[in-house]
Amino acid sequence: MTNTVAVEGPKVSNVGDAASSHQPCAVSVENASVKFGAFTAINNLSLEIEEGAFYTILGPSGCGKSTFLRLVSDLVPAASGDVRILGKSTEAARLGRELAFVFQDATLLPWRTVLENVELPLEIGESTGVDIPVSEKSPEELLELVGLKGRENAMPHELSGGMKQRVAIARALVCKPKLLLMDEPFGALDEMTRDHLNLQLLKIWQETGVTIVFVTHSIQEAVFLGQKVVMFQANPGRLKEVIDIDFPYPREITLRDKPEFIRHTAYLRSLLETCS
Amino acid sequence: MNASSSFEIDKQALLLEKKAEQRGRLEAIALPLGTLLVLLVLWEFGVRFFEVPPYIAPAPSDVATTLVDKFPLLLTNFWPTFQESILGFIVGNLAAVLVAIAFVHNKMVEKAFFPLAVFINTIPILAIAPILVLIFGSGLSAKVIIAGLICFFPTLVNMVRGLQSISPQALELARILSASKSEVFWEFRLPASLPFLFSALKIAATTCVIGAIIGEWVGADVGLGSLILDSTFNFRASLLYATVLMSSGLSVCIFAAVSITERLMIRW
Repeated sequence: MTNTVAVEGPKVSNVGDAASSHQPCAVSVENASVKFGAFTAINNLSLEIEEGAFYTILGPSGCGKSTFLRLVSDLVPAASGDVRILGKSTEAARLGRELAFVFQDATLLPWRTVLENVELPLEIGESTGVDIPVSEKSPEELLELVGLKGRENAMPHELSGGMKQRVAIARALVCKPKLLLMDEPFGALDEMTRDHLNLQLLKIWQETGVTIVFVTHSIQEAVFLGQKVVMFQANPGRLKEVIDIDFPYPREITLRDKPEFIRHTAYLRSLLETCS
Repeated sequence: MNASSSFEIDKQALLLEKKAEQRGRLEAIALPLGTLLVLLVLWEFGVRFFEVPPYIAPAPSDVATTLVDKFPLLLTNFWPTFQESILGFIVGNLAAVLVAIAFVHNKMVEKAFFPLAVFINTIPILAIAPILVLIFGSGLSAKVIIAGLICFFPTLVNMVRGLQSISPQALELARILSASKSEVFWEFRLPASLPFLFSALKIAATTCVIGAIIGEWVGADVGLGSLILDSTFNFRASLLYATVLMSSGLSVCIFAAVSITERLMIRW
């Protein structure tokens, strides 16, 4: 099945049609634009992401993929168009802690221990008057989930880059978000660590059912992780194509050596060349 | 037999390692102390050999004797300077921290007052000291203000940098968590500024004593500063040297207190 799809060129979902689904999507963006002064970072973008899905976003530098995550997480406002998270405004979703963000750099507070960093979201934002949801897993259990049991009292400077990023993931999960936005979280890590964290992230996704939107520079990573790969185009940033990746989960690292996988990455590479 | 002998070897290796470590630590202390001792001995012999009159340069032994004999006098003059330095340290640094917070929260305040702060900093402290004594009289307050003023600028500059040192991503994290302005300050900006604050406080630890002494030079009849002037004009060189030692001892104590506090507070 995947084979035939790959031969004909991967399936392309038409973005405009996606609005016909009835359930509120995890993310629903309609004709949204983002402008920084005279510069248009995102132009007239529409995209719908179903609940529980794993989307990866690929694109050349300056195509607005990071800005897209910031638009969805209420860090930058839309100049026009509409963005809804589970049917609510992005502000309501942010206040209700329905979304969490993992940055490229782990952004741990160096004066807090690992455990205190994970607990940070529980201590902040009480002034908004909105109840902060709490994961049924304790911060200690979340650290165990990301493989950092026993390091609760370490300071961030004692950890490797991969460990720091795992703490950041545990911190993101502590308020039981419905939507996890990840901005090239493994971009600065070596390949072995990256592979390991990719597998761990898939496990976490399957265990928690959280919707994940994952921005990456790596075509391999995008195909390996995502159910769909969203290709962005630069100047101005806009949507190029959404490609289905039909490999079943759980996926294993050896998947990347399969011809179907390579067909996907080759197609995306050629597509990427037309995008900048 | 074999096992026990290898155990012995291990034990010996450990002992040797420990000894090497101890030797390293000993060197770090003994070497500068030895150098100091040699210099003191050279000074002592130089003064005696060239028959330098004691009112020009006293021998170290004379200074030591004076330090012991005149200790009550030195101590009565130490406490006022100590008080002025510490109060100046607190007032100057507190003012600098508060102004830095105002600068970081309001760009207009920074634009309005930063050039003024730079201007005041360019006036030599020795030139401004008489003005402050004229305004505040020859009591405690003028000296505290001079000591505070000399601490103010370095702390202001460092604290502004420290409060701005938080990464843009950390501020985005704060926004995602819907942190209030006060949470951003207490949980993000202030802890991030602490290493910067402490490096400024270490500078202030020594400069506040300078400020207090300058204040006493302009107008005071007690304090290490006035004792310095007094012993200079009366050619009591060994008392002068002993007073100078007391003032540097004061700086060292404040510096040590700041360093210890830093080590306790900053674990990262």
